[in-house]
Amino acid sequence: MLTRDGVLEIIFRALNNLNDEMGPDDKFDVTPTTKLFGADATLDSLALVSVIVDVEGDVSSALDRSISLTDDRAMSQKISPFDDVQTLLNYIMELVNEA
Amino acid sequence: MSTQYQGKVVLVTGSRRGVGRAIAEHFLAGGATVLGFARGEASFEHPSYHHFEVDVGVPESVVKGFAQVKKITDSIQIVVNNAAVLTSQYAMIMPPAAAQAMLNVNLMGPFMVSREAAKMMRKTKWGRIINIGSMAASLEPIGDSMYAACKAGLSTLANVMAKEFASMNVTCNTLGINAIDSDMLAQLPRDKIDAIIAGLPVPRFSQPDDILNVIDFFASERSSSITAQTVFLGGVN
Repeated sequence: MLTRDGVLEIIFRALNNLNDEMGPDDKFDVTPTTKLFGADATLDSLALVSVIVDVEGDVSSALDRSISLTDDRAMSQKISPFDDVQTLLNYIMELVNEA
Repeated sequence: MSTQYQGKVVLVTGSRRGVGRAIAEHFLAGGATVLGFARGEASFEHPSYHHFEVDVGVPESVVKGFAQVKKITDSIQIVVNNAAVLTSQYAMIMPPAAAQAMLNVNLMGPFMVSREAAKMMRKTKWGRIINIGSMAASLEPIGDSMYAACKAGLSTLANVMAKEFASMNVTCNTLGINAIDSDMLAQLPRDKIDAIIAGLPVPRFSQPDDILNVIDFFASERSSSITAQTVFLGGVN
C-alpha cells in the first residue's frame, strides 16, 4: 500500500532529480509548499511536465496500476493538483485511495 | 558480429517486413536488443528480438504495448518510427476511412510511440528518436495528399519534440526515404514511380544500406547535436 509519506517521497525525488539538472542559479528549495504552477511558480512549464511524468510513472509502478495526472479529471479540479507539492500530494492520495 | 549497438535497446515499429524488418535485423546484427511493434505475429525469430502485437494507430494499443515492454526492460535508447500505411488515390475519391487510417498510423502512431518512449528515455537521459519519412513530403505527388501530409507532419513532429526533449539528451530526426522495393511500393503504378525516380539527382531506387547508413548516423553517440533534422535520400530536398 502506498502511504502519504511514500507519495511525498516520490514527489520530492522527482523535484530533486529536476534540481540536479538545474544550473547553480536555478536550483530551488524542495518543501511541501514548493509552488509548481502559476505566476509565482518555481518551475517553468517544461520542468513541470518532467516532474508530472516522473511522479506519474513512479506512483503507477508502486501501485502496479496506471494512474493519470493529466487527464480531464485532473485538469478540471477546482483546486489545480499542480498548484504546489501539497495539492499534488492530496490529488494523488485521492487516486491512490480509489483502488 | 558487430558490437556497435551492444547494450542498446531499440524499438522498431512495423518490424514484420520491408524497411522495418531490415532496420530491426540491422540493430540485431549490431548487438542490440530489439523490441518490435507490429499488428501481426512476428515474422522472424532472434534471441534478442521481442515482438509485441501493437497497432500503433490505436493509442490504447500503444500504451498497452509499453506496459508489456516494461515487463522485460525499463529502458529504451533508440526508437525508429517506421510503421506506415499508404492508400494512393485522388483526394476527391479517397475513402475517408483510408485517409483516417493513414493519419492514425503514420502520424498519431509516431506521436504516441515517441511520447511513451520519451518517458523512459527521461530516466536515463539519453535517446534517439528516428522517424521514417518519405520523399512524398517534399515531392507532393498527385494521389498522395494525406500520405504526403502525414510524412511532412512527421518532420514537424520531430522538430517540436527535439525542442521538448533536448534537455533529456534525446534527439529527434527524420529520414525521408525514396522508393525502395517493398509491399507498400507494389501498391503504386510502377511507371509513376519510375518517372519520379528518373527526375531525382540520384535516379535509382534506395537500397537498404542507403537507409541504414543514415539510421546509423542519427543513432550514433557522436550525433548528440544532430536534432530536428530531415535527411532525404536520392537528392530530394
